[in-house]
Amino acid sequence: MSAARASGRPRKAAKPTRAHAITAPQIRWLGALLIAAQLPQAVHLPIWVALIGFTLVLVRLALLERNRVRPHAKPARIPSWALVVFAIAAAGALKVSFGYLLGREPSVAFLYILVGIKFLETRTTRDGALLCCLACFLLMTPFLYSQSLFAAVAALPALLIVGATLDSLNRIPTDSAMHAPWRETVQRSGIMLLQGIPIAVLLFLLFPRLASPLWGLPADYRATTGLSDRMSPGQISDLSLSDTVAFRVDFEGPVPAPSQRYWRGPVLTRFDGRSWTAARAESQGELARYDAPSIAYTVALEPHDKPWLFALDVPAALPRVPRSPIGEPGSEIGTLTRDQRLLARTPVAQPLRYAQISVLRDRYPGRPDLDVSPNTQLPRSNNRTLAFARGLRSTHPSDRAYISAVLRWFNTESFVYTLTPPLAGRDPVDFFLFEERRGFCEHYASAFVVLLRAAGIPARIVTGYQGGEINPRGEYMIVRHSDAHAWAEALLDGEWQRFDPTAAVAPSRIEMGLGGALPTGAPVPFLARLDIGWLKNVRLVWDAVNHDWRRNVIGYNHDRQRSLWRDLDIDPPKLPWIVAVVAAFITLWGTGVLGFMMWTRNRRNDRALVLWNLLTRRLAHAGLPRHCHEGPMAFARRAAQRWPRFGIAFAAIGEAFSALRYGAMATARERDALVATLERAIEVLPPAGALRTTT
Amino acid sequence: MSAIPTPARWSELLARLRQRTFRTSPGDRDAVVLRHSRIYILPTKRGWTMIATLLTMLLASLNYALALGVGVTFLLTGLLAAALLHTFRNLAGIEVTPLAAGETFAGGHVAFTLALHGGAATRTQVTLAAAGATATGDVPAGAALTLTLDVAAPLRGNVALGRVTLLSDFPLGLWRGWAYVHFPIHGIAYPAVEIGAPPLPRSYGGADALAAGRGDDNDLAGLREFQRGDPPQRIAWKAVARGAGWYTKEFEGAGGGGPIALAWNELPPSLATEARLSRLAAWILAAERAARPFALTLPGIALPARQGRDHRRQALTALALYSDEYRR
Repeated sequence: MSAARASGRPRKAAKPTRAHAITAPQIRWLGALLIAAQLPQAVHLPIWVALIGFTLVLVRLALLERNRVRPHAKPARIPSWALVVFAIAAAGALKVSFGYLLGREPSVAFLYILVGIKFLETRTTRDGALLCCLACFLLMTPFLYSQSLFAAVAALPALLIVGATLDSLNRIPTDSAMHAPWRETVQRSGIMLLQGIPIAVLLFLLFPRLASPLWGLPADYRATTGLSDRMSPGQISDLSLSDTVAFRVDFEGPVPAPSQRYWRGPVLTRFDGRSWTAARAESQGELARYDAPSIAYTVALEPHDKPWLFALDVPAALPRVPRSPIGEPGSEIGTLTRDQRLLARTPVAQPLRYAQISVLRDRYPGRPDLDVSPNTQLPRSNNRTLAFARGLRSTHPSDRAYISAVLRWFNTESFVYTLTPPLAGRDPVDFFLFEERRGFCEHYASAFVVLLRAAGIPARIVTGYQGGEINPRGEYMIVRHSDAHAWAEALLDGEWQRFDPTAAVAPSRIEMGLGGALPTGAPVPFLARLDIGWLKNVRLVWDAVNHDWRRNVIGYNHDRQRSLWRDLDIDPPKLPWIVAVVAAFITLWGTGVLGFMMWTRNRRNDRALVLWNLLTRRLAHAGLPRHCHEGPMAFARRAAQRWPRFGIAFAAIGEAFSALRYGAMATARERDALVATLERAIEVLPPAGALRTTT
Repeated sequence: MSAIPTPARWSELLARLRQRTFRTSPGDRDAVVLRHSRIYILPTKRGWTMIATLLTMLLASLNYALALGVGVTFLLTGLLAAALLHTFRNLAGIEVTPLAAGETFAGGHVAFTLALHGGAATRTQVTLAAAGATATGDVPAGAALTLTLDVAAPLRGNVALGRVTLLSDFPLGLWRGWAYVHFPIHGIAYPAVEIGAPPLPRSYGGADALAAGRGDDNDLAGLREFQRGDPPQRIAWKAVARGAGWYTKEFEGAGGGGPIALAWNELPPSLATEARLSRLAAWILAAERAARPFALTLPGIALPARQGRDHRRQALTALALYSDEYRR
């Protein structure tokens, strides 16, 4: 008795998810997962970090291969202490490479290396599950660098493999069936991922987003391109070399003409003879009332780590949450300064969308009592310029006449508009105006303001973007850093009025953008050129797709969520409502998915088995239940005895079913023929109710 | 009936709820089909780790306003949710049938055999656990899986299978689904056999002397059809080898010697109850080996001298269930 039990005992299995020694297929799955999670991250890391991470994973896979080729050799193992030493060395190297360790980027790099180290010492399925969780986290880190469509697609393979790896880790290895085929594993994990998508979408839409970060975003030493509150010679021309997008604009009405596209940014007042800087503090400004038609649009601003928001000259309302009514309390996301700049409450560290209204005017009311003295300040340098201004002023006593004379002078003298001006010396304005006469918009604006101030006219520099390209694929405007521009404004008759000295030198810059203003052959950023043909076309299509992606997926934030609830007429969203919506949805989803699984199971199942089950159920209803010990042939015989009239049908059923289930079937055609026989034989039988009364 | 139940009714309701929730008493008379009311699902340790990871990812994504990070986190959450449904589906509809309860001697294991039917779907990695024993297997579609639980039986007497937990954490190991079934079945553990027991007592009626010279396998009286439980040494192997079928040899005088009387009262008075039972068990097995009929007399129980599997089982069962109370 006891001997019989010992041999016939089914394999003893420990409780599920106890730690088992990890098997080779599980290691391979983990390796695949790690590679898939590392790949999207690797491009954002220093090359040596990327290579070390991959190498660690590959070493483990190579060791596995060695163990397979030489199964009786002592399995190669790297001692844990060596790995700890390696981890510390890696941390040290990261510190040297990045200059700091406790920041976002070195942490990501360390995690990237750490998963490789952990993989080398993964010995049990429990380690494997932990590694799986680490890989999930690693899957998220590339989004700190880029949230493009491409980054999203790059994460998909790893997502699929997460499920497959967990599936494989959960398999209790047995002697006979080591592992499910990989195709089946991937298929099951893919199905589960697909089934989970409704939940993911629901959570994505409804899970409360944060209006502001919980903990301070660490200063990340990230040099973002963009305008700053300081302008030294050469700064904007550097910026102009970048094709990077500054922001995108969706206009509600007609798009303004190119010469009216002045996107107002930082205003620079203080001049030290070389650099311009913004005034220290700007007091709260008031929106002026204009009786000109206004223009409404939505700006999708790329993060630039600075507080300023851009608007067309001149803002007529405060920036607010898209699609929220004007003047609604709490919907405004920025403030206005007295020099008509818009400021966000915190530096823009994440993509931001805001609705904005502007009036296309080149002037707005100033406050002569406050504005004059800070805007006429000049250092004692650039003496030739000052002397020239005094001379010009003596012949043009009227402010307007003087300004016209200056602009005319720019226009008639041999000034050259170029991206690569020579480096200036001690008095850059003198050097520019009287020696080189080659410069970029910043040089012209700077010289212009100095000339005005020297004549006692209050003037200052406005930086921002001028222009923007309409993407015909998406009917929106792209403003790039290559559109960065500097112009000037002067206080005349109590109003600040815009003057663009660059337009006097190179009018085509204003009308056609940088590519139109620079001579052929000058190093113009690729996308700023006017004629590139299909390649530019492709990139515009790609940008349109990305814009939609950003607008609808990446840009989905706290504010958009609010407006979603508003569209559902549930505003503000109350907790019972959210719970009710979510609960109803989850119930619906669970029922749907389970129902779908039952349905596909029945369809996918052996057709013969389905028919047989239906038949046995019908006969049981008719009073002839199948005994559990009874094979199909025996049951068919018994049925034939009970209903002799259908004897032939039952015999056919019994034979066809046992041949299908237990016979060796050569071809699919044979199978189909037998299934057809089975089906037809079952069709012959009357329903259960009729069977019960027949003999 | 009043709307507010009386305290007695309360406790009855409470007991019924407890039974429904934990199946503490053996209430399942027949095969049990697992429906949603029996199936419980909670995250495994691995599942909790995953949930913690997802929470961390969510927090980081929300803080850094990474819409894609949030998206990936929620896709994985969807995977987790779908895995829950798959875990449920893997268990729902399984039919559990108790097949057999085994026997053993104290200190051994009682084998309980249960059958699982999965219907038209394959059920993967289903584990049965009861009284410290576990067994795992896959239930094939349209077929049954029989699993044996070896339940330790340290003491003699009835060994109840107790509440059986049917569990599975298929497919991802993130959720554990389980269900309780409680069948009123029990196996039996006979008293431990005394090792080095004294030889069998002499047979009554002087037949012993007659048997002494003949040995066990003399005087073949004939063959009868084999019955399960017949000792292997008495199978007519030659007949089996010829292909004539399975027969058991029967000896003249219904055994290799005269009947033996095994009596509680004839054992030395110094022996304690358990030692007596062990010795009697050893003698029963020895008599079985010697193919001799035996009679068993215990306080309150008397079995006439007979032979064979059923008799042996009856005798051993009497020993297993013996209680000192019978003596009073």
